[in-house]
Amino acid sequence: MNGNSESQISKKLDDIIQGKNLYSTGKVVRVNEFIIEVTGIGEVSYFEKVMINNEENIGYVDKISSNSVTIALVKTNNEIKVGDLAIATGEEFTTSFSESSLGLIIDPFGYDRMTGKKVLNSRQIKVETPNIPIMDRTSVNRPLETGIAAIDMMFPIGRGQRQLIIGDKKTGKTQIALDTIANQKDKNVICIYVSIGKTKKELKNIYSNLVKKGANSYTLIVSVFNDEPAPIMKLTPFIAMSIAQEYLAQGKDVLVVFDDLKKHADAAREIALISEKNTARDAYPADIFYTHSRLLEKGCQHKNGGSITVLPIVETKGGDITDYISTNIISITDGQIVLSEKQFQKGQKPAVNYGLSVSRLGGAVQNEAMKILGSKVRRELLSYLESASVYQLVNEDQMTEDLKIKIKTGNKLLNLFKQPKFSPLAVDKMINMFDFILDADTKNKIQMLNTITKPVSSNSTNINTVNERKDGNVTTDVPKIKQNIVNVATSSAIPTPIQKMDEGVKQEEKNNNVSVTTNVINKPTISISNKETNEDTKRS
Amino acid sequence: MDGIINEISDLSVSILINRESTLYIRDILVANYKNKEYLFEIVEINNNKAKAISFESVIGLKRGIKVKKADKRLSVPYTNQILGKVFDSYGNTLNGALQEPINIKDVYERNVSLSELNINSDILWTGIKVIDFFAPVQKGSKLGLLGGAGVGKTVLIKELMNNVFKKFKSNSIFIGVGERSREGKELYDEMIESNLMDKIGVVFGQMGDNATSRSKAVFSGLTMAEYLRDEKKQDVLLFIDNIYRYVQAQSEISAELGKYPIENGYPTTMSSDVSEVEERINSTDKGSITSFQAIYIPADDYTDESVQTISSHLDGQIVLDRSVAEKGINPAVNVFRTTSTLVDPDVIGQRHFDLIEKAKAYLTRYKELEEIIVVLGIEELSEDDKLIFYRSRKLRNYFSQPMFAAEQYTQIPGQLVNISDVLDDVEGILNGKYDDVDESKFLYIGSYGNK
Repeated sequence: MNGNSESQISKKLDDIIQGKNLYSTGKVVRVNEFIIEVTGIGEVSYFEKVMINNEENIGYVDKISSNSVTIALVKTNNEIKVGDLAIATGEEFTTSFSESSLGLIIDPFGYDRMTGKKVLNSRQIKVETPNIPIMDRTSVNRPLETGIAAIDMMFPIGRGQRQLIIGDKKTGKTQIALDTIANQKDKNVICIYVSIGKTKKELKNIYSNLVKKGANSYTLIVSVFNDEPAPIMKLTPFIAMSIAQEYLAQGKDVLVVFDDLKKHADAAREIALISEKNTARDAYPADIFYTHSRLLEKGCQHKNGGSITVLPIVETKGGDITDYISTNIISITDGQIVLSEKQFQKGQKPAVNYGLSVSRLGGAVQNEAMKILGSKVRRELLSYLESASVYQLVNEDQMTEDLKIKIKTGNKLLNLFKQPKFSPLAVDKMINMFDFILDADTKNKIQMLNTITKPVSSNSTNINTVNERKDGNVTTDVPKIKQNIVNVATSSAIPTPIQKMDEGVKQEEKNNNVSVTTNVINKPTISISNKETNEDTKRS
Repeated sequence: MDGIINEISDLSVSILINRESTLYIRDILVANYKNKEYLFEIVEINNNKAKAISFESVIGLKRGIKVKKADKRLSVPYTNQILGKVFDSYGNTLNGALQEPINIKDVYERNVSLSELNINSDILWTGIKVIDFFAPVQKGSKLGLLGGAGVGKTVLIKELMNNVFKKFKSNSIFIGVGERSREGKELYDEMIESNLMDKIGVVFGQMGDNATSRSKAVFSGLTMAEYLRDEKKQDVLLFIDNIYRYVQAQSEISAELGKYPIENGYPTTMSSDVSEVEERINSTDKGSITSFQAIYIPADDYTDESVQTISSHLDGQIVLDRSVAEKGINPAVNVFRTTSTLVDPDVIGQRHFDLIEKAKAYLTRYKELEEIIVVLGIEELSEDDKLIFYRSRKLRNYFSQPMFAAEQYTQIPGQLVNISDVLDDVEGILNGKYDDVDESKFLYIGSYGNK
């Protein structure tokens, strides 16, 4: 017994000589929300973990000044007052990682939210790692299928891609992410859903949905709630990314969903303003772009074979995707899926705005058949949407044959893109649904490609769609054409864009009020306007 | 030892200067701590205190760490070996070391004086219809590609690299500033694949790097371009994607130092920061630098102070517009804002000049008609307006183009178009030669008349 305590004392002495466990302490002199100023603390390094009074109040060193140290709190259990003891731990602020976390909802510190206990087998990892070197990246070319036809065909996502999901409240942003996670079953993808500032109820719902779909076995949920200090909210996405990088290091494919980064930006703004930093556009800190860019740049196809795919979500107001945070993130990601409230209310779900959505990787992440078909479908659909808005009032004898076919095909495509939640389509199924749009030769070609890659394919949908196309002869009678267009769309009770616009226009003709016109024009919110006209050129 | 670290913040440190040491702004300080080397550049000196911005993360640094002044300010390799190499912002190679001895040069030293400036040169046709027609480029000039997020700036820069660089095979420098690392690596892979890597030097300070790195990449790359111009006496192509990110990085540094910003957080020194870089990108009697610079428009705000400051240095500008991209027309050029100093009958010829005037007049009227039609329908238009309407739509479609850099989205092979064919086609459309051709036949084609 004696010997034991002696050895303990000598161990302690050794530690002191080596500088281990030698805590440097100070006193709190200022408390400003979650930002605390401490004096008297000598030895402390940048981003070191600091405790206030005890282990229940944790912060990290945010700034070292000549006479004091600023601490940002990440966890508090008791109120902190001036004069409290600040203990520098001598260690960098870290988080913990455990492979046993899959299937759980954890907090940013690696504790199970349901039981409040630390997850088993965990080890400490860095909150943020350096940028992944440019030469360690390889090209993104393997598909990550969402199972959603509109996305997989026209705005495909590849493993290692960063694809933004952006739209107003209640337009189905989270649902697209959940659909994608559910569709990764048996595809060897680890999913990390990062909930930033969602309510506890919303999160519980998401969790139960994932459990129902059997997706929880390969999905980890990292969550931070609004009632936690802003600094931890700012760090949570970085922590989730560090976890993803642990899997990446093992050469695995990871999918990370950030829901959502607008709230994250707001947390960063809160910290900057409380720390009295100079602000930039919309009162966000000057480095808000860098905050998001260094986070999302971790998404990559690594040369070791692993990848991190990132689906950040951003919530907009009034359908405006040109605000500061949205455009920042659009300029970082490899494409965006824009959701529109109007489409959602029309019943065109998933409510993708086809004109504004884009994937910068395009066909590079699709198989041969999807590449050919997808680019054709996208071109046809965009061309239809553009013509539909201009030619809606044109009567049939002014329509060229090409235009008539275009309008009919466009309507049909819109209908085929309607897809209920959690009902993923396999790639070969999609090809069969949409290949009516191709000429016979190309169709045979892609069906052949399709059979090579996926031998099992059903042809039932294929036959149906082809027949429909043949029947749809365009007649010379005006009302009949419109009838035809509506017929194609009758599978839903929702009016097609053309029909709806027609009604709008008719009403206006009654009122004979030209000034209302702008309401009818389907204008996106864009701050760059083309309206400036050059007076000189007009005259010439 | 020249000082010790006294204060540490996100991006910068404050140094207590040793009494015997003399330090200047832009001197580099080195600290060695726990087997790691940390570098800082001095940005502010106040009596015995200096503020310095850090090259890398400051995590783990403590008060009291000693710093030493480096022999040289930021310097990069100034040798023929830059071709074929990829550098970070500080001149370190990322794809294999250079052979000793390496001649290096201070990145801030060079300045172009008024007397050595050369402004006469030939037109450089890019093979991109909308650029050659509306905003022709002169050898040795600066072309800006302006656009909001995700409207196709990078694709267009890549297309220009493809068309101009591959065609002329003159040595080039590419500077990636604050853009995607993925695209940077893809560019490198493409250059290797097309056997062009030995003709290009690449500098990356991408968006995952801190503000110091992003702001220095421009200086490093520029010094390398100057080597090719001044020492090798060559006509150099300089691609910068994206120069706005340089201003953005400067704002971050300015905010970090607690300086008062002007509107939207830009530094008070923005105008001189931009001039310091842009005035060096010029042609001299020794050689020329033709530069293509992508310019990001933050929040789609064309009137943004930094965008206006940068574009005042340009000889020509292509403005990309979200409303055009949305209609599926790429390159999504807003022809009304697209200009070039070369649009002058004496330079491009009377015919080309007249066609630009007429095309712009048609397209302007078309924009007005578009709104009328939504209410009244096409039948209500006068015969003249109907012609303008249909011809303008054909014209608009005609200025879309299959691009080599966009093959993966469109699955249509890229095309180069000769300016004489463009002029013939535009004339044909405007004069009614193609009145009975459907408008969709003009979408994503090369030349119409000369297939």
